[in-house]
Amino acid sequence: MPGRRILITGIASYLGTELARILEDDPEVEYVAGLDTRRPRVPLARTELIERDIRDPSLLALLPPTGVDTVVHNQIVRRPGAGMSPRRAHDVNVIGSLQLLAACERTPTIHSIVVRGSAGIYGAEPAAPQFFTEDMARLYPLRTRFQRDVAEIENLFGTFAKRHESVACSMLRYQPSIGPAGSTQIPQYLSMPVVPTYLGFDPRIQLIHERDALGALVAAVRRPVRGPVNVAAEGTIGLTRMIRLAGRPTLPIPSPLFSGATAAGKRVGLLDFSPDFQRLLRYGRGVDTARLQSEIGFTPRHTTVAAVEDYVASRRAADVAA
Amino acid sequence: MSDGRPDPGDGPLPLRPVVSFLRALRGGLDGGNGLTGAIADAALALPREARESLEAATRRLGGRYEEDDWGFDEQFADAALPFLEFMFDRWWRVHAEGVQHVPSHGRALLVANHAGIMPWDATMMGVAMMREHPLPRPPRFLVLDWAFDLPYVSVAMRKLGGVPASPFNAIRLLEEDELVAVFPEGVKGAGKSYRERYRVQRFGRGGFIEIALRTGAPIVPVAVVGSEEIHPKLAESSVLARLTGAPYFPITPTFPLLGPLGVVPLPSRWRIEFGEPVDLSVLGPGAADDRALVLELSEHVRDLIQRMVYDNLVKRRHAFA
Repeated sequence: MPGRRILITGIASYLGTELARILEDDPEVEYVAGLDTRRPRVPLARTELIERDIRDPSLLALLPPTGVDTVVHNQIVRRPGAGMSPRRAHDVNVIGSLQLLAACERTPTIHSIVVRGSAGIYGAEPAAPQFFTEDMARLYPLRTRFQRDVAEIENLFGTFAKRHESVACSMLRYQPSIGPAGSTQIPQYLSMPVVPTYLGFDPRIQLIHERDALGALVAAVRRPVRGPVNVAAEGTIGLTRMIRLAGRPTLPIPSPLFSGATAAGKRVGLLDFSPDFQRLLRYGRGVDTARLQSEIGFTPRHTTVAAVEDYVASRRAADVAA
Repeated sequence: MSDGRPDPGDGPLPLRPVVSFLRALRGGLDGGNGLTGAIADAALALPREARESLEAATRRLGGRYEEDDWGFDEQFADAALPFLEFMFDRWWRVHAEGVQHVPSHGRALLVANHAGIMPWDATMMGVAMMREHPLPRPPRFLVLDWAFDLPYVSVAMRKLGGVPASPFNAIRLLEEDELVAVFPEGVKGAGKSYRERYRVQRFGRGGFIEIALRTGAPIVPVAVVGSEEIHPKLAESSVLARLTGAPYFPITPTFPLLGPLGVVPLPSRWRIEFGEPVDLSVLGPGAADDRALVLELSEHVRDLIQRMVYDNLVKRRHAFA
C-alpha cells in the first residue's frame, strides 16, 4: 500500500498542528498538507502549508493536484475569537465546509474524511438522556446558531457520504476539551477571577483531555469509520466540583439575570458566554462513548475527573514557576 | 450568654469548643498558615464528631468528593438521610411492608402509584429500602422532567439518585443492574384532584412495560398510601401554570396562600407496600414491540397496584391519626 496523503484544515490550531506533527513522524504517511490563513505556532518539518481561507473558491483548483486520500476537517469555529463576529464564524463553518466538499468532489483520490465536529448538536436540555448515543442527535429542536451550524455541517457531509459510497466519512462529535496547552472555553472559564454559575444549578459536565482529543483524531485518521462518533472522556463531573477542584470562587447568578450579567462582563473584557455555553452551564450534557472505543478502537486515557485534575495540577505548576 | 459573662470558657457547654476552635483558628492564621491549614490545626480542639464533620466539609469545599456518572452523590445522600428518616418516622409515621420482595442484587423496576408534585414518595421508598431491606441499596428514580429545570430542586434530585424521566435513562440504568423506581402515572398522577386521590390513573402508553421487557428486569409493584394527602389539591390555575412554566399549578389549602410555607407537606399517615415481583423475562425482549401485549400487561400491573392501594387504605384506617 502506498503511503497516505493527508490534508488538514485549520492547521494553525493546537489540535491541527499537533496532528500534523504526529503524522509527519508516521512512516506510513507520505505527504501532509495544511490549510489555514494563519501560520502554525511551531514550525512543521515536512507539512506543505496552503495559506488560503477555507472559503476561497481557488480551493477547487488547489486540492485535486495534491492527490490526498484523507481530509481532516478541523476548522469548525466553536467560539468566535477576538475580532470574529458570530456572522463570520457561521460563514466559516457552513460556507467553508461547503467549499471543502466541493473541492473533495473534484478529488477522486479521496477515500476518507474525518470531521472534528461537536457534541453541541445534542444541545443541553434539562430532561435529556444522561448519555446521548449517536442516533439521538434530533431528539430536541436546534436552539442556538452554533447548533444549527453543526447540524448543517453534518447534513452536508452526510449527503456527500451518500453520494460517494467509497468515501468513509467520520463525524466526530467532540465534548469540550480541557488541558494545559489549549485555550479552549472551559480552561478560560476556570481561570476567571470569579466563576459565574447559575444559582441553584449544578449540572453534569463531560469533557475530554486535549491529548485524548488529539489521540481520538489520530485514531480516526488511521481507522476511519462511517457516520457520527461521540468523542468524550469516561464519566462526568458536577460543575461545582470542577470549579472547586480548580480552586476558584463561584459567583452564583439567578438564571433570569445570567445572560445580562455575562454580557456586561464581556463588555469589560471578560469571557464571552455563547448561548450554547450558557445552556451547558445550566443543564450539562453527557454522551455515550461505546462507539469510539469499539469501532475507532480508542479509549481516552483520562476520565473527565482526571482531565480536570491534570489541568489543575499543570496550572498550579505554572503558577509556581511564574 | 444571657448573663453577659465575659469568659466564654464558662458559657453553655456547646459554646466552649467553638470558642477554643476560633481561638486556635486565629492563632493559626496569625502564624501564617493558610486558611485550610489553620482550620485543620484548629479542628484538633474540637470534639471528635464535630472534627470529623468539619473535615468532611473542607474536603467537599476542595472538590474532593465522589459523584458517579449519573451525578448520584453518596455523601450527600448520607447527609440527607437523617432528615429523610425524620420525615419517615415522625412526620409521616411510614409503615413499610414487603421490602424483602425487592431483589437484593441485579436489575429491577419498582413501579409505584404517584401523588403530589414533589417526589416525596420516591424518597420515602428509598428510605424504606435503605432501612428495612436486608441488603440495602439506594434506588434510582425517574423524576418528572420539569424538576430538572428548577434551581436547587434539580441539584437535590440528581444527588439523591433522581434522573430525568426518559426511557433511555431507565434502560441504561437497568442495563447497569441498578434498582430503578418509576411512576407511570406521570403528571396525571401528580395532578389528580383530592376527590379522586386514590384512583390510580392510566399508565401512559405502557412505556415501563416495554422497558422491563427489553431489559428483562422484574417488575416490583409498589403501593404508596398517604402521599395523596400531603398536598391536597383543591383546584388548579392554568394561568399561573403558564406563567411559571409548570406542568400544572396546584392550589391547596396552604399553597400559594402561605407562600413557601405552603410547600411544607401535611403530616398524613403513610403505608408503603412492596408487592411480589412480576417476572416478564420469559417473554423475551422482542415482546416489547407487541402493542397489545404491552397495554395488557400495563393494565395488569395497574390493577395490582390499585388493589394494593385499596388494601392499604383499609389497613391504615385514618389518614392523619
